[in-house]
Amino acid sequence: MLKLEKVSKDWKEFKIKDIEFEVKRNEYFVILGPSGAGKTLLLETIAGIHIPDSGRIYMDGVDVTELPPEKREIAYIPQNYALFPHMSVYENIAFGLRIRKADDIDETVRRLAEVLGISHLLHRKPKTLSGGEQQRVAIARALAVQPKILLLDEPFSNLDVQIRSKLMEEIKRWRREFEFTAVHVTHSFEEAFCLADRIGIMLNGRLVQTGKPDDVFLKPKNEEVARFLGYENVFEGYADGSGIKIGGITLNSEVAISGKVKVAIRPEDVIVSKRDGKFEAKIESIESLGFASKITLSMNGLKLKALTTTSKIVEEGIKEGDRVYVSLRCFNLL
Amino acid sequence: MRRDYVDYFLIFFGSFLIVYIVLPIAVILVFQAFDFGMLLKTLHDEMVLEALKNTLVTSAATMLISLIFGVPLGYVLARKDFRGKSVIQGIVDVPIVIPHSVVGIMLLITFSSAIVDNYVGIIMAMLFVSASFTINSARDGFLAVDENLEHVARTLGASKLRTFFTISLPLALPSILSGAIMTFARAMSEVGSILIVAYYPKTAQILVMEYFENYGLRASRPIAVLLILISLAMFVTLRWIVGRRRHAQA
Repeated sequence: MLKLEKVSKDWKEFKIKDIEFEVKRNEYFVILGPSGAGKTLLLETIAGIHIPDSGRIYMDGVDVTELPPEKREIAYIPQNYALFPHMSVYENIAFGLRIRKADDIDETVRRLAEVLGISHLLHRKPKTLSGGEQQRVAIARALAVQPKILLLDEPFSNLDVQIRSKLMEEIKRWRREFEFTAVHVTHSFEEAFCLADRIGIMLNGRLVQTGKPDDVFLKPKNEEVARFLGYENVFEGYADGSGIKIGGITLNSEVAISGKVKVAIRPEDVIVSKRDGKFEAKIESIESLGFASKITLSMNGLKLKALTTTSKIVEEGIKEGDRVYVSLRCFNLL
Repeated sequence: MRRDYVDYFLIFFGSFLIVYIVLPIAVILVFQAFDFGMLLKTLHDEMVLEALKNTLVTSAATMLISLIFGVPLGYVLARKDFRGKSVIQGIVDVPIVIPHSVVGIMLLITFSSAIVDNYVGIIMAMLFVSASFTINSARDGFLAVDENLEHVARTLGASKLRTFFTISLPLALPSILSGAIMTFARAMSEVGSILIVAYYPKTAQILVMEYFENYGLRASRPIAVLLILISLAMFVTLRWIVGRRRHAQA
């Protein structure tokens, strides 16, 4: 449906480089990356607001790289929703339909409003709506023109936590109702996991890895991706077929490779205990994050981060300077 | 207690210019109120009425021309980046710093007899000194319109032109209108360059001067009062319209 080939664009302080991916019909593709990675620039380039410096963009096999936005049938919802402030909710939703001189404008607007739960707001001006309501209007306005693809830029970043999770559930419902294809950019793992059929990791203007959410999260391609996905412990090691040596310790591994490797371990997978474990370590510091706590360990000269529940720390009386046992639930080779 | 002194200080200094602006307007209106007969007489003076008509027609024409050419220029200055943009921006502001009699001389040298003593000459003189207001507020108005609104309108199928007329222009309109008010007011109050370019057909602001020189203060005062009243009425009405539009959007 949508296909990008080596798309590059340099614009103001933002940059995207050699972006390549494909989105299939009815697929929900989430681009995950930190702020400043060029996610918005990428969406604006797909929407036709910017023409790429190089590379091609195809819609249903047709080259749309040079087409103006109004000829692409791509709907774009910017982060601030960009509702037209001088028009009512009704007029906002009807905007695209009026341009197309559609003959069932009223019916379409009312049906969309009904499904999106904004029927009671149709006469209101956007400024008088809450963030969640504005979001719904923006989605209704975009869906009204039956775009081939919907581009969403951080759609939940301005919303409260409760509204956010409710809207995410609803988006799934609306997808079943209207069967749309979407490219959604965000920095939130939660959104990516909850909504995505496939995700792409975007770092420093490049799309580094794409795949099913589980695959990407469990098999980061390199250290950069691993670190972004929360693998805070990345070590260089040496594999000899029977195990992997990192610093002074050896991890048992069945992997039949040998030579230099990189090992990535999520803090959640580091188990700290006073009673038993595989390796010995010393507690360097404990940082409370509320219900969870982050522990920095020193293990044979390796600095290791562990995440555990605060209650466990209290229960076992773990303090800075203590000697403890550490075991690893799992680790990944990069 | 200390804070009170600061407040008094601020009130005193803050009021000075306000009082200074209001005082002469109030005084001339009060004086004229005691000389109402003269005002009525002036209202029947054919020459005065003709001059007032000339002023209003030429000022309105100036405002219209400044809108037709100033709004597109303001849009370009707000939305486009190009080499020499700061030079263009500078040129827009130049008329504000040139003495108005000099403007008259320049126009006369450039266009010579074509603009002497006719409406075109008056309007050209007015336009030169007052167009900056419309251009600058149009630019500011467009700058205040979130570019994302235009982008979204485009993706929804609106052409560039349609986006301009349905999104950008309506949203920038309050700002553009207040610029147009300023242009109108500035045009109405222009004397220096008109004096040199087109003394005739006589405009009210020129007539005030002429009556003052020929018949003295008492004769010129009613015309001055009429000009004040017209200016204030225009100003208040348009401010009100703009305020209402702003309010409607907020």
